[in-house]
Amino acid sequence: MLFKIAFKEMKEVLREGRFRILSLLCLLLLVVAVFSAKKYYEYVNAQHRSAAEKERMNWLYQDAKNPHSAAHYGTYAFKPKQPLSLLDQGVDKYTGVSIYLAAHARNEAEYMAAQDQTALSRFGDLTADFILLFLIPLLIILTGFNIISREKELGTLRLLQSMGVSPVALAWGKWLGLFIPVAGVVILVFIIVYFLLVNIPDFGQVSFSAVTLLLGVYLIYYGVFANLTLLFSAWAKRSALAFVLLLTTWMVMCLAMPRLTTTLADKLYPYPSQQEFYDAINQDKKKGLSGHEPWSEAAKKLEQQVLAEYGVDSLHKLPFNFDGYLMQKGEEHEAEIYFAHYQKLKETYEKQSRFYRQAALLSPYLPARFLSMALSRTDYYHHWHFCDEAEKYRLYMMNELNMNLAENSKFGDWGYKADPSFWATIKPFEYEAPSYASIISMNTGNFAVLLVWFAASMAVMLVRFKNLKP
Amino acid sequence: MSYRYQYKYEWLVLLRERWIIILSVITLFLFIYAAFSGRERVEERKRPIAVAREEMKANDERLKLLIDSVERGLKSGLSPWQNPQRLNVVGQQAARVAAFDPQPLALIATGQSDLFTHVVKPRLYGEAQTLGFSELSNPVQLLFGNFDLAFTIIYLLPLLVLAFSYNLLSAEKESGSLRLTLAQPVGVTRWLFNKISVRFLVLSVLVIISLLVALILAGVSVSEQGSGILRMLIAILLYMIFWFGLSFLINLRGYSSGQNAVILVSAWVLLVLLVPATISHLANHLYPVPSRVVMLTELRYAEAEAQKKADSILESYYRDHPELMPAQSSGQHLYIFWIKYFAAQEEIRKAMQTVLNAYEDKLQAQQRTVDRLRFLSPAILIQNVLNEIAGTSTRHYNSYRAQVVAFAETWRQFFVPKIFRNELMKKEWIDELPSFTWDEKLVEKQYLADTLALIAYAVITFGVAIWLQRSLLKRELIISA
Repeated sequence: MLFKIAFKEMKEVLREGRFRILSLLCLLLLVVAVFSAKKYYEYVNAQHRSAAEKERMNWLYQDAKNPHSAAHYGTYAFKPKQPLSLLDQGVDKYTGVSIYLAAHARNEAEYMAAQDQTALSRFGDLTADFILLFLIPLLIILTGFNIISREKELGTLRLLQSMGVSPVALAWGKWLGLFIPVAGVVILVFIIVYFLLVNIPDFGQVSFSAVTLLLGVYLIYYGVFANLTLLFSAWAKRSALAFVLLLTTWMVMCLAMPRLTTTLADKLYPYPSQQEFYDAINQDKKKGLSGHEPWSEAAKKLEQQVLAEYGVDSLHKLPFNFDGYLMQKGEEHEAEIYFAHYQKLKETYEKQSRFYRQAALLSPYLPARFLSMALSRTDYYHHWHFCDEAEKYRLYMMNELNMNLAENSKFGDWGYKADPSFWATIKPFEYEAPSYASIISMNTGNFAVLLVWFAASMAVMLVRFKNLKP
Repeated sequence: MSYRYQYKYEWLVLLRERWIIILSVITLFLFIYAAFSGRERVEERKRPIAVAREEMKANDERLKLLIDSVERGLKSGLSPWQNPQRLNVVGQQAARVAAFDPQPLALIATGQSDLFTHVVKPRLYGEAQTLGFSELSNPVQLLFGNFDLAFTIIYLLPLLVLAFSYNLLSAEKESGSLRLTLAQPVGVTRWLFNKISVRFLVLSVLVIISLLVALILAGVSVSEQGSGILRMLIAILLYMIFWFGLSFLINLRGYSSGQNAVILVSAWVLLVLLVPATISHLANHLYPVPSRVVMLTELRYAEAEAQKKADSILESYYRDHPELMPAQSSGQHLYIFWIKYFAAQEEIRKAMQTVLNAYEDKLQAQQRTVDRLRFLSPAILIQNVLNEIAGTSTRHYNSYRAQVVAFAETWRQFFVPKIFRNELMKKEWIDELPSFTWDEKLVEKQYLADTLALIAYAVITFGVAIWLQRSLLKRELIISA
């Protein structure tokens, strides 16, 4: 009985003009979005790779110079674009793509794409996630809002019930009839995405299980909307009312809640301003070792320590260049200060994330969005990870340079120039994204909330169907 | 038929529809919440500016005292990098706050303000164009956007309009009263137009009152900001007329209420969600923003070449660590070092400027092209109007960057001639330092063009509706009713 109902429902949906037009439109938009995202991915990565190569050339072809001058010339780390940004661009547009790695400062990532675009770009881009998260639920609503209320209005519900159709079979039948055609459209798109990913040069980095998991997340998200559609269709006395209720729900969940949540999250756990952040860092820097203050107290203390350690009474008698050593110690100290402040920032970010997970109880859009970004490697966590890895590389680079100065020159001899062959001994920056296992384990909260939404909405829907009156 | 009678009747019908009153109350509260939410963002924007200005004042006092002490010989043994009598020290440490204060109506639209910092302090050395203009924020917030008045107006107001008018003709058709009305010597178009006019009048009054209440509660002075508020209201009313026009058009096709609802909601999704996103997407693909990353590699190469030249003037380690320079007691000798330092940095600065200026020109050209695409959607037009009135449009921030760069040059020119003349800093000069003032007049205004375009959209929608109606006979409507 269940499958007979499902089959009949599916036939009706597929014959329905509005489903055909809307699903075709969605499919077309998805294909356009995915193909243009692929082009953009290749464009950005080609640029970043070429820029990284040129930077490396700039670094290698430096003349003989003081290693610390090389540390000030520095180099750049470029953030690679991830293959699954085909599906979800996440926050890529709102984060910087290059970090300047040089002495005495941990710099922020620069060149946020959104800053160079006009206000038009704040309307969003035609990306797959835009259509998958906003429009497909609307497709479900527009196709299914009168799936039960129509039967009530036409009088056929009475006939169905008089035939002894169990309410659960009816519910499941209708559900499958609505869900399967929509799922079909989405699965088709994912198959196209699979094909595109296989043709990408560095597809080895792509985990197909991640793509499948992403598909799973979206299908559960659509399941929630199918549940809600059936629920309201069964509950409302007239189709028009069901439609209005569903539309309002969609708007509140997908448009209003994200904005309300970010406003509240920012109010409850505010980020410091750029000003405050750097003022605090500079205050801390003044108190300790700094490469730019060789006359400071901390520097003098270090001097005494080292002199005592080596049992000499003058810096000239040390077996290494104290200035280089001081630079390195200053660098390490400042790196610790930066690390501590960035940790505090991360804590604020984590508190905000926890708030988003709590708010997810009011909107399934939120966990779906965050999971989609996490699995596509385009969420804020991945940006943090890149910045942290770049900082680790910067410290490695500074250490090599400062130690070269310390070991190969005498104190006071600022004329020391390292041989150009030295620059090549510093390895270039290679970025590796965190493992999927870690990403998934970090997002179990979001998974859980989405599953709770699915289960709860399904339960309420089934209860309503049990009490269905024609 | 007496149109006055129709107006009166419509008004009474409206008053008796309970859900319209509910919607009105919800609208009022939404506007109030949005206004307060916008105001909070503005307060957040003002805070760092206030802090920076206070710090600057305190620092000025400290420098004055320090210069005074040095002049009287009380403080000695200061390294040249700390001695405030050195003009270069003041140029670095007494940096002025170049702030972009929020406009009085900034609360209505976040616009681009969440992407940038509003406090910058250009110093004597360092390239002003490479100054960081970013603010620290969670990019998820930038992605999701804010619940401000602009959001309510662009996205939610059309839905309100559609809710008020989607079934004006279809409800009458379904209840059977359309036949009775059309049996009279009255044109369908004129009759429906009257109905929609009443709804438009009522909704306009509701929206205007809600907006004014929300703005007043959020602390805006209506008398002072009258001009801005008036411009905003005109644009909003034109936007509403467009949506009423769409409803008018669809109603006249004679579909059922349910069909009207589906079509109009689809139109909303298309015009407010899809079309702007598609245009934005196309714009960035057909006319891509020139790549900053590519510019960066050119910049770095230019910098490397210039550094070689600069090294011939002054060794790079002194350029990177001027504080390492051996301390001398005589002033004359020192300034020669600083002049060399300055000349060396100038070499690098000039090389980088050429690359940066070329990039800026390309970027401006691309933005101007993309800007013209706003005429393709009324949602984009009204976003532009609201951003301009709030002072948070793209043009405002481009102008801010340009004004800061210009100020950085003014700042440099205060010190450079004096450095070359070997002068020492006087404490009276602290009060005469050049200061930055934001010039709103330098921002290009597009309000007129946008309003004309919105008028065109409103007129064309109604025009098309009436033109299409000519092909549908009144008789057909009555028969199908």
